[in-house]
Amino acid sequence: MRKYNKNVLYGLYDDDEQLLAAIHSAREAHLEIDNVYTPFPVHDLEEAMGLSESRLHMAGFVYGGIGALFGFLFMTWVFTRDWPIIFGGKPYWSVPAFIPITFELTVLFAAIGMVVSFYTVCGLWPGVENPTLDDRITDDKFCLAFDVTNADGGKVDALRSFLSDSGASEVNQKAI
Amino acid sequence: MNQFTFTAKQKTFLLSMMGVGLLSMVLTFFTDDALHTRFWSNYLHNATFFTGVAFTSLFVLTAFITAWSGWHVLVKRVWEAYALFLIPGLVLLSVLIIGLYGGFHHLYHWADAEVVAADPILKGKASFLNKGWYSIGTFVVVGAWIFFALKLRQLSIAEETMQDANFSVHKKIRVWSAVFLPIAGFSSAAIIWQWLMSIDSHWYSTMYAWYATASWFVSAMALTIITLAYLKSLGYLQIVSDHHLHDIGKFMFAFSIFWTYLWFSQYMLIWYANVGEETVYFQERLDNYPVLFYGNLILNFVAPFFILMRNDNKRKYGTLVFTAIIVLLGHWWDFFLMIKPGVYHTAQEVLAHSAAHADEAAHAAGHHASSFAAGFTLPGLLEIGTFIGFLGLFFFFVFSRLTKASLVSTGDPYYEESVHHRVWPF
Repeated sequence: MRKYNKNVLYGLYDDDEQLLAAIHSAREAHLEIDNVYTPFPVHDLEEAMGLSESRLHMAGFVYGGIGALFGFLFMTWVFTRDWPIIFGGKPYWSVPAFIPITFELTVLFAAIGMVVSFYTVCGLWPGVENPTLDDRITDDKFCLAFDVTNADGGKVDALRSFLSDSGASEVNQKAI
Repeated sequence: MNQFTFTAKQKTFLLSMMGVGLLSMVLTFFTDDALHTRFWSNYLHNATFFTGVAFTSLFVLTAFITAWSGWHVLVKRVWEAYALFLIPGLVLLSVLIIGLYGGFHHLYHWADAEVVAADPILKGKASFLNKGWYSIGTFVVVGAWIFFALKLRQLSIAEETMQDANFSVHKKIRVWSAVFLPIAGFSSAAIIWQWLMSIDSHWYSTMYAWYATASWFVSAMALTIITLAYLKSLGYLQIVSDHHLHDIGKFMFAFSIFWTYLWFSQYMLIWYANVGEETVYFQERLDNYPVLFYGNLILNFVAPFFILMRNDNKRKYGTLVFTAIIVLLGHWWDFFLMIKPGVYHTAQEVLAHSAAHADEAAHAAGHHASSFAAGFTLPGLLEIGTFIGFLGLFFFFVFSRLTKASLVSTGDPYYEESVHHRVWPF
């Protein structure tokens, strides 16, 4: 079991529109949202939460570039230095013949690199068990969570009343 | 503002572009060789290029409709107007047919009965590569495209007023679009073989039709971006958002890569198989047209690939229009490279042949004169002038069609979907 060592206050909403409205008013009140959990992708959620653009695709570009260079230079080395063989009367260093393999390795490096990066960033690895705040967030509830680990009682009460005022059908606290 | 007005100022500007084009063509005609090869090849180049843009616009429109697309509705009037350019396109191409029958040009090796009789390969192809097929093919194929373009335009305008609960007009549009797609696929291939591939009469490639169509497709997207940016700068189509532009940018990006894929597939298969009849096409281009050959790849692959790769570059008007201009010129350049070497070769042979009757020595000289040839080795000012002229004609026609209907089709059932169209990032 993975430990975040966090104390989380969360509200469960019955409807995604309620959740979006709650997120908007939380951001207007400058409350720091820890996370949002939904059973399915909700439109406009990233925008409402003000999430910044992922940098994963930049990493993908770099991985792809490495793959292209690796593929091309490796074939160059093999066919000009290590084991030169004439195929079909072509020169040893036959660039057109290298292009398909260079392309494939670009795609392979970019794809695998991005998957590994994504899993690493998200802290997902084989056997990991993620604590779930409430089982119903995988079914029909929409959850808005605040981190209250270092919050005093007054702050927690304010957040609690914010959650119930914004339409949460249930407000709970849980250590994860 | 959804009703486009074609101002006198725009008309003057486009007419002066056409004037530049006409002047360039006249100058080309009178400074040309005895066969007017440069003039006719420029004419063929631009006529097929712009007719193709019109055809692919119709193809894009029908493909989107068939795929239940909704986002394109705000843009569809532009494509409808582009598609109608098939009508002047057919007129332009009929001039080539008249030239073919009148013997005014020597663009096609197979059109020369004397040469065909002495050439077993051309004799074998004569049942397809002949004047009859060329002209009937052009009239039937482009005529069919025009029929669909007019039909879809008429239904699209009828949709504005005739709205019923069953969407009966829209259902008709859907049927006509679906019928057009297979016809478009086969007919465009057959007619590109006639118009362009048969210039290198001995040579053939099964990738050619796709490759040329991909060129047209990217050019159509580039022209769409330019037109939309221009219309928006005038205050029209404010409803067309960054999100629509982003999607058209994606199409331009994706089809630039598709074009490269076809270009490379054609090149690599021929290079690898190493059959003399096939490699001669690339040998000629690599030896005598290296700037065109490699420039083609830089303009049409390297530039759009790296510029448009980033997500937000497809939303910046400046970057997108800049890339659209590069790619448009790039594909015009690509067509130049498809047409000119073959035409030049044919003309040299015809000229040398006619010279040989007078002087045998000239024959030998004519065969080995392969140095810089103005208007063939590289596009010269007259080629650019001709292009400007055709571009002026294209936009003149398109703008005059845009005035005929509202720029935004509110009658389309997908209108609301298109207005609310958004792609990430919001």
